[in-house]
Amino acid sequence: MTNAAVDRMLTVTLRVSRFTPKPERPGRRRGGSPFGSRSKSPFGADAGAGRTNRARGKRWTQDYTLDVHASDSVLDCLLAIKREQDPSLAFRYSCGHGMCGSDAVAINGTPTLLCTAKVRDWVRPDTPGFVGDDGFRPTGEPVDADAHALDLDALDPDTTLVIELAALPGFPTQRDLIADIDPMLDQIRKLEPYLKAAGELQVTDEGKINAFEYLQNPEQLARYELLSNCIACGVCEGSCPVYAGGDAFIGPAAMIAASRFINDSRDNATASRLTALMEPDGARACQSVRACSMHCPKGIDVGEELWQTIQKVDAARVSSEAE
Amino acid sequence: MSPKQLETQYDVVIVGAGAAGLSASLGLVRSERFAQMKEEGRTPRVLVISKLQPLRSHTGSAEGGIAASLGNIDHDDWHWHFYDTIKGSDWLADQDMAEILAKEAPSMVIGLEHDGVAFSRTEDGHIAQRLFGGHTAEFGKQPVRRTAYAADRIGHQILHALWQQCVKEGVEFAEEWYVSDLVVERDGAGHATARGLVVIDTHTGKVHGVNARNIVLATGGAGRLFHTTSNSWDLTGDGMALALEAGLQLEDTEFVQFHPTGLAHTGILLSEAARGEGGRLLNADGEHFMDRYAPGHGDLAARDVVSRSIVAEVDAGRGVADPKDPNGPKDCVWLDLTGIGEQTLREKLPEVCDTVREYAGLDPAHDLIPIKPTAHYTMGGIPITADGNVYEWVDGARRIVDGLFAAGECSCVSVHGANRLGANSLLDACLFGSRTGATIAADIADDPMAGMPDEEMIDVDSTTVDDAASRREAEIKSLLQPADAESVGADDDTADDAQPDDNPYRLMADLGALMERYAAVRCDHDGIVSALAALDGELAPRAERLHAHSDTAAYNQELTAILEARHLVALAAVMLTASDAREESRGSLCRTDHPQRDDERFLAHSMVTRGRSVDWQPVTITAYPPKARQY
Repeated sequence: MTNAAVDRMLTVTLRVSRFTPKPERPGRRRGGSPFGSRSKSPFGADAGAGRTNRARGKRWTQDYTLDVHASDSVLDCLLAIKREQDPSLAFRYSCGHGMCGSDAVAINGTPTLLCTAKVRDWVRPDTPGFVGDDGFRPTGEPVDADAHALDLDALDPDTTLVIELAALPGFPTQRDLIADIDPMLDQIRKLEPYLKAAGELQVTDEGKINAFEYLQNPEQLARYELLSNCIACGVCEGSCPVYAGGDAFIGPAAMIAASRFINDSRDNATASRLTALMEPDGARACQSVRACSMHCPKGIDVGEELWQTIQKVDAARVSSEAE
Repeated sequence: MSPKQLETQYDVVIVGAGAAGLSASLGLVRSERFAQMKEEGRTPRVLVISKLQPLRSHTGSAEGGIAASLGNIDHDDWHWHFYDTIKGSDWLADQDMAEILAKEAPSMVIGLEHDGVAFSRTEDGHIAQRLFGGHTAEFGKQPVRRTAYAADRIGHQILHALWQQCVKEGVEFAEEWYVSDLVVERDGAGHATARGLVVIDTHTGKVHGVNARNIVLATGGAGRLFHTTSNSWDLTGDGMALALEAGLQLEDTEFVQFHPTGLAHTGILLSEAARGEGGRLLNADGEHFMDRYAPGHGDLAARDVVSRSIVAEVDAGRGVADPKDPNGPKDCVWLDLTGIGEQTLREKLPEVCDTVREYAGLDPAHDLIPIKPTAHYTMGGIPITADGNVYEWVDGARRIVDGLFAAGECSCVSVHGANRLGANSLLDACLFGSRTGATIAADIADDPMAGMPDEEMIDVDSTTVDDAASRREAEIKSLLQPADAESVGADDDTADDAQPDDNPYRLMADLGALMERYAAVRCDHDGIVSALAALDGELAPRAERLHAHSDTAAYNQELTAILEARHLVALAAVMLTASDAREESRGSLCRTDHPQRDDERFLAHSMVTRGRSVDWQPVTITAYPPKARQY
C-alpha cells in the first residue's frame, strides 16, 4: 500500500458548538465559577450549582472548512483553525499525544480526546439523514473506532464531510469546547486519593528505618498498575448517563482513583475507602451502563473495574452488617 | 479550584505544578520547620499557581525513568553516577551540584516510592532498574542498570503521586492562572529583592497583584522555541522570560538537547529502543549513513552525535520530505524498521509501532518512517544555588536575589552542563525542588517578620506590585480592543470567510521555523546573525502589534498566547546571543564554524541579560578535571 492511499487529503468541515460567556456581574457569583468556595463538604452545593445552572452567554454553531490529511488528529485541525482562520476558538490542549488529559470533548456526540481522534475515524457525510426524523442521532456507536470509520474509498468525491465538536457532556461549558471539570476533581479529592501506607519499612543493619522502599512484587503491582495510569481526562464521566444527572453519583473517575488504592498492596486503608463508597452517591449509584469503558484513552475497562470494586463494597457492607 | 479571596500577602508563591513545583511545595509543607510554625499558630500562607489544570503538567509525558544508584540489580555506587553526569555534561556541569544530585538520588527515589509511585518491580519486590545511555559502572567501564522506571510512564506516575500528596497536605492551588510579571525591586546598591507577581485569572481575565515574600519559579522548559519539539504546547519558557524581563540573567541557554528520532513534523518521540532492536537510519540515497559518522557505534551513537549526523545529511541535500507533505522541505531522514520482522516489532516495539501508525498513518513493517531531531530539553535557565536561591553574576561573584527561587527545567543549578544525561531531569526537578521548599521553610522560620507581617512593610510592597498590576491591567484592556474592527470576526458567523490578520499562533509557528532553520542542532555565526535580524526586524515588532480577536476576557486563550509569544521572542534573542558568544562546540551546542571544544576560553557558564550583555561564570571543578568526551 502506498503512503498516499493510507493518508489521503480530505476537505472537512468542523462543526463546532460555540459559547461565549457573558461577563460576570459584580456582586453576583455565577454557578460553576472557578471561584467556587472550598466548602467544608466538597460534595456540597457548590459543585452541584455548577452542574445544573446553565451559564449565561451567547451560543451558536460555527462551521470551519479546511483541507487535512486523513491521518491528522482533530486537534491538528483545531490548531490549524487557530492559526489560519479564527484565533478566538477556545479548547484545552497541551501534550498533544494522549498523556496530559486536557482535551476531552464530544466528537460527533461521543466523549473522547481531540489529540488521539483521527479525522479518518470520525468524518461523516453531511446528510440530513444522519440525525433521525425524531431529531435524535443514531445510538449504540460501536466500541471499535475502526469498525465505525467511514469507507473513504466508497464515497462520492463530492460528499461534504463533517466532524461535529462540542464541549465534554456532563459538565458546564465555560467557553466553546472548554468544560468546567472541577466537579470531577473535587470528587476525586473527596475520596482521599493518596497512598496511606502501613508504614512497615525494612530496617537497616544500624536500625535506621525508611532506607528502603515498600516491597511489592510484580503480581501485586499488576493488580493496580493499569488503574494508576488514569489521566483524569473525564471521558468516562462524560459518557456516564448517571453522572450527567448531577450529584447523585460520585462518578467513574473518582471511583477508579479509589480503586487504584484499594488494589495497591502498600495501602492500608481499604476498609475506610470501601466505607466511603457505601455513601448513596458511591457504589450503589452506578447502574453498570458501562458506557464509561468505551473510549478510555488509557484502555481501562472502567465499567468492569467499577463492578469489581462494587462487589468489594457490597462484601464489606455485608460483613459490617453481620457484626 | 482557585482561591476565592487572595491574601494580602503570601509567605510563599510557587509558580508551576509539575515535578519541580509540586516537589517544592511538599519540601516546604513537610519540613520540620513548617510543622513547627504550624504548631506555633503561624502557618505560612502558601499558594501554588499554574497556567494549567492539575495533572496536566508536562512532567506527565516523561517516559524513561529516574536515575539513582540504588544497586537493586547491578552493583552501583553514587560516585559512578556523579562521574557519568559530569562526562555527559561535557564537563560544563558544576561538580559540587552534580555530587549532590548523585549522592541524594537514592533517598529521593525511595521517597517517591513512599509517596505512591507505581515503580516497576524486581521479582523480590524492589524497585526495578534498567539500562540507559551514558550510565556506567566504574567510571565508564560498562553499562549499569541505574534507571528506576514505571513501565514507560515514570513522569505520569511521579506527577500524579506528588499531586496526591499535595491534596493530602491541603496545599492551595490557583489553577489556569497565568503569571504575566515578576516584580523585582533594586535598592541603591543594586541589590535585588522579589516583591510579588502579577497574574491573570484566565477564567475571568481579571488581573491580580500577588504580594509574596518568597517566590519559586518552576515553569518548565522552552521547547516551543522550535517547530519540531517533543514538548507540550505550554512549554513557552515563561519563567525564564519573567526573569529576563525583571532584569535578571539566564545561564547556559545555548544548550538545548535534541532527541534524534522525533516522528517527522509531529516531534513525538520514537524511543531509542527502535534503533536498539535493529532500526537503521537511511538518507535519500538509501545510504546507511551513520557508519560514516560514528564507525563502530553506527545508529546507536550518543544522542547529540546522531542528531548532528542527521542534520549534516539534510544540509548536504540528502534529506527526504515528510510523506505527509511531499512538496515540503526535505528535512527528514528515514528510520527503517522493515528489516526487524513483524513479530519482533509487535513484541519489542509496541509503543513505537502504535505511534507510527497513529500519528503518521504508516506501517513500520512495510513503510520507511520519516524522522528528524526534536527539541527535547533546555539545559540552561535561571541560575540557582544548591538551595534554590536565584542569583545574579556580578563582578565575578554571585549576588542572591532575595525572596526569589527557581527549580526544575526552567532553572540552571548546572547539573546538566552542556548536555543532560537521560533519566537525570526528573531527578533534578524533584531533588532541587524539595531542597528549595525546605530552604524557604527555614528562611521563614528564621525571619521573625514571617507570619506576622508588618503593616508598613505590606504597604511598601503592595505599592510596587499593585503598580505593575495596574499597568498590566491597562495593557490587557488594550489588547482586548480590536485594532481593526473589520478584520475581527470572532463573534461573527462570516468569520471563516474573512482572512484574519496576524495572531500569536501564527507568530509562534513562524518563530519555530526560524529557530529550527538557524539554531536547531547546529549553528554558525552567520546563521545566528540572520536569525537575530529576522527576530528584531520582523518577529519582535509583530509580537508587539498583536491583539486579541475577541473582546471577551474570560477564557480568552489568545490573550495568554500573545504573552507567551512575547516570552518566546525575548527568550529566542537571548538564546541566539549566548550561542553566538560561545565560540566552541560542546555537548549539545555544535558551532560549525568552531567545531572544537575550547576549555581555555569556554570552561564557563554564559550569563546573558535581556539587553544581550554576556558575562562568563567559571565552572566549579571539584573531582574530575575535563577530558575528551567519547562514548
